[in-house]
Amino acid sequence: MDNTLFGYLDYAVYGTAVLVMLIGLYGAMVKKSLLKIVIGLSVIDSGLNLLIVAIGYYKGGTAPIFSQGFLDNFKSVSKMVDPVPQALVLTAIVIGFGVTAVALALVIRLYRHHGTLNIDEIKNLKW
Amino acid sequence: MVGTPVLFVAIPLLAAFLIPLLGMIWKELVRIVPGLVLTYLLILSVNLLNHVLVHGPIVEVIAGWVPPIGINLVFSAFSGFLVVLMEFLGLLVWAYSYRFKRNVDYEPALKYFLMLMMLITGSVGIVLTGDIFNMFVFIEITSISAYGLTAFYKGRNSAEASFKYVMMGSIASTFLLLAIMIIYSQLGTLNMADIANRIHTMKPAYKIISYIFFVTALGIEAEIFPLNGWAPDAYAEAPGPVGAAFAGIVVKAAVYAIIRYTYTIFDLSGTLNFLIIIGMITLIIAETAAIRQEKLKRMLAYSSIGQMGLVLVAFGFGTKEGVFAALFLMLNHAIIKSLLFFSGSYLVYNSTEKKIEEVNGMSKYLPITSLLFALGAFAIVGLPPFAGFWSKLSVMTAAADSNMILIMALVLIVSVVELVYYLRVVNRIYFFKKEASIKPHRPTINAMVVMLVLGAIILVIGFYPDAVTGILHKASASLMDKGQYIHHVLSLKQ
Repeated sequence: MDNTLFGYLDYAVYGTAVLVMLIGLYGAMVKKSLLKIVIGLSVIDSGLNLLIVAIGYYKGGTAPIFSQGFLDNFKSVSKMVDPVPQALVLTAIVIGFGVTAVALALVIRLYRHHGTLNIDEIKNLKW
Repeated sequence: MVGTPVLFVAIPLLAAFLIPLLGMIWKELVRIVPGLVLTYLLILSVNLLNHVLVHGPIVEVIAGWVPPIGINLVFSAFSGFLVVLMEFLGLLVWAYSYRFKRNVDYEPALKYFLMLMMLITGSVGIVLTGDIFNMFVFIEITSISAYGLTAFYKGRNSAEASFKYVMMGSIASTFLLLAIMIIYSQLGTLNMADIANRIHTMKPAYKIISYIFFVTALGIEAEIFPLNGWAPDAYAEAPGPVGAAFAGIVVKAAVYAIIRYTYTIFDLSGTLNFLIIIGMITLIIAETAAIRQEKLKRMLAYSSIGQMGLVLVAFGFGTKEGVFAALFLMLNHAIIKSLLFFSGSYLVYNSTEKKIEEVNGMSKYLPITSLLFALGAFAIVGLPPFAGFWSKLSVMTAAADSNMILIMALVLIVSVVELVYYLRVVNRIYFFKKEASIKPHRPTINAMVVMLVLGAIILVIGFYPDAVTGILHKASASLMDKGQYIHHVLSLKQ
C-alpha cells in the first residue's frame, strides 16, 4: 500500500469539512430563496460539526467507551478518540436544530405576510 | 453562605419550563412567577456581591469535577456587579411589562415571560461561566430567546427583523464554535483560567485567528460596526420593554464576553488598540446614523450602538481608570437607555409608524412620561447633574490620563451630536402642537412606578456618584487582576 496517499487522506476530512462549510456559506449569502438560505445555514453547521469531530480523531483510535475489549488491548491499541469534541458536537447539533426550527418558523411567517419566498421582494425594513 | 452562583442558572431555567404547567393551574401565575424568581435572584445577587467584595471571588464547581476538567462558575466582583445589574433590569422589565397591554391573552403572555426568563438566564450565564463552551451554549440560549422576542408581534414586520437577526446570529455561532475548537485543538482545554494560564504556548497565528473569530461572533451581539445590521430593526420591531432588555442585558453580556477574552484569556499585544479603533468607528457611524433616523426606536437603537462603541473605547485604554469609566458607562447606559425605551414606547404607543414627529405636544397629555423621557435624554447626553455626566467625565479623565487627546475631542463632538438629536425629540414633545389623529395612551401604574424608580436612580447617581463608585472600583480592580482570577479557579482542591 502507498503510505503517502493515506497520509494525505488523513487530512482530506479537514478539507471536506471546510468545503462543506463554504458551500453552506455560498448558499446562505448568494441564494435568494429564504428556504435555500436556511438550508445553507444548516449546511454550515454540518460542516463545522464534521470539522470538530475530525479534530478529536486519532488514527486507529477506538470509540471512547471503557469496554472489556478496550482494556484487553490496552497495551497494543492504547488509544481512544477524544470524547470531548464528540460531546460538544452533540450539543452543537441540538442547538443548530433549534436555530433551524426558529428560522423555518420565521420563513413560514414571512411567506404568509408577503406571499413570496424571494428575499429581494421582502424589504419593508430595507435589507 | 447565603446561596451559590449555580442558582442563577438553575432557578430561572426551572421556572421558565414550569411556567406553562403553573399557568394551567391559575393563569395569573404566568405573570407572577417570573417576578418572584427575579426578585429572589436580585436579593441573592446583592448578598453574594456583598460577600464577594469582602471575601474574594466565589468559584462554584459543578458536580465535583475540579477545574480544568469540570465546569465552573465564577462570581467575582466584576461579574457579580454585572449580574446584579442584569437581575435588577430584568426585574424592572418584568414589572413594566406585567400586563403591558390591557387584556393580553394567556398564550402571548406565556410566551413572552418564558422567553424573557430564558433571555435573562442566558445573559447571566454568559457572565458567570468560567468555560468557553458553556459560554457558547449560554449565548445560544440568549440568542434564540432574543429571536423569539423580536418576532413577538405578528402584525408588524417583526418576522423580517427576526429573520435578519437569525441569519447573523447563526453565522456568529459558527464563528464562535470555530474559535473555540481552534483553542481546544491547540491546548486541549476549555476552561478559561486554564487557557489563560497556558495561552503563551499557543502559536501566535492560531491566537490571532481565534481572537478575530471570537470578536466577530460576539461583535454581532455587542452591536459592533459593521456587525450591527440586525440591531435597529430588532429594537424597532420588538415590544418596547424588550428593547430595554436588549440594550441593558444582552448587549452587556456580549460586551462582557469580549472584555473577558481580551483582558483575561488572550495575551496578544495590540488588541487594546484594536478595541479603541473598532469602538471609535462604531461610535462615529452610529451617531451619524442616529441623527438621520425618522423613527424614535431606531434612533434610540443607533444611540445604543454608539454608546457601546464608547464603552469599547474606554475598555481599550487598558488602564484602571479606563475600565472604571467603561463599567460606569455600562451601568449608566443600562439604566438611562431602559428609561428612554420605557417612556419612549408610551410616547409613540398609539401611532402606527412610530415616527419622531408623532411625539409632538405629548407633554400636555402625558406630563410625567414626557418629563422622564426628557430626563433620560439629558442624562444620556451627559448634562450635569444627571448620571450620564459622571460616566462621560470619567471617560474624559481616563483618556486624559492616557494622553489620548483625539478621543477626548471625539467624545465631546459626539456629545454635541447626541445633544442635537435628543433635543430635537424633547423640543417636539414640549413645544409642538399635537396632531389630532394620535390618541396618547396612559402608562399603567406598574410601568409608571418602574419609570419613576429609574428616574430616581439617575438623579441619585447624578447628585451622589459615590453611591456606586466604590463597587465599580472594586469591579474594575477584579477585572484587571488576571493572576488572581487564574489562581482562584485553578487552585481548587477536591
